[in-house]
Amino acid sequence: MAFLEINRLHKQYGSVEVLKGVDIAIEEGGFLVLVGPSGCGKSTLLNTIAGLESISSGEISIDGKVVNDLHPSKRDIAMVFQSYALYPSMSVGENIAFGLEMRGVSKADREKAIQGVAGMLQIEHLLKRRPGQLSGGQRQRVAMGRALVRDPKLFLFDEPLSNLDAKLRVDMRTEIKRLHQKLGTTIVYVTHDQIEAMTLATQIAVLKDGILQQVGSPDEVYSKPANMFVADFMGSPTMNLIEARIENGGGSLSVEIPQRDRSLSLPVPQPPTSLQSYSGRSVVLGIRPEDITDLDGADPKAEHIAHANCSVEVVEPTGADTFVVTQLGGKEVTGRMRSANGLSVGADVPFAFNMGKIHFFDPATELRIA
Amino acid sequence: MSAASKDTALRTGVIARALIYSILLVFAVFYLLPLFVMLVNSLKTLDEIRQGNMLAFPEVFTFEPWIQAWGEAQIGVEPTGLKPYFINSLVMVVPAVIISTLLGAINGYVLTKWQFRGHRVVFGLMLFSCFIPFQIVLIPMARILGILDLAGTTSGLVLVHVVYGLGFTTLFFRNYYDAFPTELIRAATIDGAGFFRIFRRILLPSSGPIIVVTVIWQFTNVWNDFLFGASFADFDSQPMTVALNNLVSSSTGVKEYNVHFAGAILAALPTLIVYVVSGRYFVRGLMAGAVKG
Amino acid sequence: MLIATLFSSDPLSFVSGKAKPLCQWRLKLLFENAVTMIERLQTYLPRLVLSPSFVLILLFVYGFIAFTGYLSVSDSRMLPSLGFVGLENYEKLFSLRHWSIALKNLAIFGILYIVICTVIGLGLAILLDMKIRGEGVLRPIYLYPMALSFIVTGTAWKWFLDPGIGLENVMHLWGWESFSFNWIKSREMAIYTVVLAAVWQSSGFVMAMFLAGLRGIDNEILKAAQIDGASNWQLYRRIVIPMLRPAFLSAFVVLAHLAIKAYDLVIALTNGGPGRATELPATFMYSYSFTRNQMGIGASSAVIMLMMIASIIIPYLYSELREKKT
Repeated sequence: MAFLEINRLHKQYGSVEVLKGVDIAIEEGGFLVLVGPSGCGKSTLLNTIAGLESISSGEISIDGKVVNDLHPSKRDIAMVFQSYALYPSMSVGENIAFGLEMRGVSKADREKAIQGVAGMLQIEHLLKRRPGQLSGGQRQRVAMGRALVRDPKLFLFDEPLSNLDAKLRVDMRTEIKRLHQKLGTTIVYVTHDQIEAMTLATQIAVLKDGILQQVGSPDEVYSKPANMFVADFMGSPTMNLIEARIENGGGSLSVEIPQRDRSLSLPVPQPPTSLQSYSGRSVVLGIRPEDITDLDGADPKAEHIAHANCSVEVVEPTGADTFVVTQLGGKEVTGRMRSANGLSVGADVPFAFNMGKIHFFDPATELRIA
Repeated sequence: MSAASKDTALRTGVIARALIYSILLVFAVFYLLPLFVMLVNSLKTLDEIRQGNMLAFPEVFTFEPWIQAWGEAQIGVEPTGLKPYFINSLVMVVPAVIISTLLGAINGYVLTKWQFRGHRVVFGLMLFSCFIPFQIVLIPMARILGILDLAGTTSGLVLVHVVYGLGFTTLFFRNYYDAFPTELIRAATIDGAGFFRIFRRILLPSSGPIIVVTVIWQFTNVWNDFLFGASFADFDSQPMTVALNNLVSSSTGVKEYNVHFAGAILAALPTLIVYVVSGRYFVRGLMAGAVKG
Repeated sequence: MLIATLFSSDPLSFVSGKAKPLCQWRLKLLFENAVTMIERLQTYLPRLVLSPSFVLILLFVYGFIAFTGYLSVSDSRMLPSLGFVGLENYEKLFSLRHWSIALKNLAIFGILYIVICTVIGLGLAILLDMKIRGEGVLRPIYLYPMALSFIVTGTAWKWFLDPGIGLENVMHLWGWESFSFNWIKSREMAIYTVVLAAVWQSSGFVMAMFLAGLRGIDNEILKAAQIDGASNWQLYRRIVIPMLRPAFLSAFVVLAHLAIKAYDLVIALTNGGPGRATELPATFMYSYSFTRNQMGIGASSAVIMLMMIASIIIPYLYSELREKKT
């Protein structure tokens, strides 16, 4: 049995169903990230794990024990909130120790615990201050300290970095990852930021409209998205999704992308058997921007590179790379080029497509074909 | 209100500005005039008021009217002055304010952080009670106070003021706690604090401003009440406002204007002091009472 | 949890002699029942805590309203009586000259009070918002009357408006011999002195409400309007005043309900006189219920007052609470 198990979880507010049968499991020491657009139910899911919201049906168990009807304070969890939720009237030290105080831990032991956590998070000098006197990053640390000091079985993080500015967010992300590696705690972490999800998680669960879309390691979710939603949601810039047709040309499959003048045909290397049945039918071709490059920038290890000329519509330099927008199959398609490529708008230039990393989706069900 | 005037970038000429200032000053005079009249004439002898100019400073200063008003003037049948009534008011105001504020705080806490089915209806009913014309409850209230054996007592008045102050105190705290982050309650719940502990340890320590606003509001309202005092009080529970009215409108004997003015200032003093000391909170209470929801 | 382990661990089985698994199991069950009881209590605790206040309000507000409502259709005179007489009291009430005077006075007083307070309040707020030096001094001066009891206000104005010693006398002493200001002694004009004193007391408060509204307007909107070429007058008429709609509404509701409830000020200023020239519904209700031994009629007048206030307050509260919901 997994450390945290969620089985067939349903949650309704009146007649509105916000969680529609969620199943997730995570092993001890794992880092589960719940990700999805706002309103997808990820925060509700976290709150039901915490016990802050009741569930309509299903089962949640932590460390082999069903906690459905257990009060939040008895689930042996700690939570870091989006707003940090530091008690404004207490000093930092009192904030950290409040949970211990409620559990009847003696003052001396509390002091010791505060010192331990403060040392780990480097906030010793802040212990006497009030939350109002702290910067955003410091509050974030105190909120983590309050969770850590309890040494719970399970940590819950509710978008903890979303109130920080961009640079601090990256720093704290690294810090959280380091803490997780050092302490080996089990964490459930909610975010809408797919980069946070990719960098932190051992398991990512993608949610949409209360339905779990895919659970898997970051690599699985990124390189084998279960459906078009996951493909589109994970990755930045997002995956290009192009309507196309599968053609069977004497044993080898190719994908045809209709263009204004002539349609573009790209060979599909080693097509999986599941794709065979789609020959002659339309599919959605998915290809990530980093797999559309200039000829020199193509991945030297890639085995199947297809070339095609496309007309450059927009050039967006970001410094390290330059994103180039062109049209394919009537849709805007973004490619990722090396920075100093001297591309100019309107030019018709050859693009390299890494055909080893393409994805196919069924246009009706939106599910992954291959 | 405390923020400095914004840069509205309005261009106004010198003449327009002079006009604006004179209008504002005229109104300042209008608002200050009655206070000035009361103060100046409370320090004059009766003869000087009768023969002199009400807007003139006293030629002979005398504190006699103040002494009279406080300790000697005839009110009702006894020449007690306003002193015993001042004490009546104090004895009534303090418990009424404390009880209604405490109840309002806990009600506001429940109505925002422990909402239950129908909490909106409960709040609506409490809110509407702020606005009822008290004439509608006078007759049954008199009966109930009689039945409870509280007729004519200070305890009876305290009960009345608590009941009819609850709507406002609940409103104040509800609006304040509504803006209080619910995540803090959740954090404390996970930390293991229960209903009362969250209230005492998390909410109350952050409630300073709204407590001040509520106490000032209740203090002003209860101190200034006349209708309930006139309806339900006896000699030994009559509040200051009723005594002042008796003093001023007694039809027997000479009208001692100077004593009346001194008495009026005495009756106004506690609320005026509160206003001067913490006008900011007073205004906030007025606003909270006016802009609802 | 700690107690649970205590209960089911060895010390207890030692006390009870031989530890029987069944017995332990029973005790544990008992304890778990107790725990659910406590948790049950926790879920009902908030409602339990709220209930005393709610019961007080239900009883002392809504129960009393119902009681007074019943008295208004009863034959109560000096004391409450339960004999049902239908709408007789209302018929009598509306045929009473005193009541029609009270209603007419309320109309005069209410309209003038609301209009004048709003005009003065808005005017002062707009002027004060023009970066006035000394705003910090002026604002408290405009507002302090709100802290006073109506009885104090009434006393001050009563003697200040008294022709014998007050304003009229002052003007005579200053050489304006023909000056006459005896409204407070005049049957026709006395109600306007009530308006004067009430405006004095409340207009500063209205000013504060409008000032808060003005300060809440986004300055960039004003700048945009000026770039669009609006003059100061147009700026206020077309942009600012329409944006103060909520403040107008609040001011109206507060002033209207204060007007209908007005009692203390009339008692202190004119005591309803001269004659009954300044009678208002509130003073009418009091004298009919408690001094004229016409409790049924008094109760019916109170019901009419409640209906007047409710027709203003309920739509307002309804819209305010509903807005809050979304």
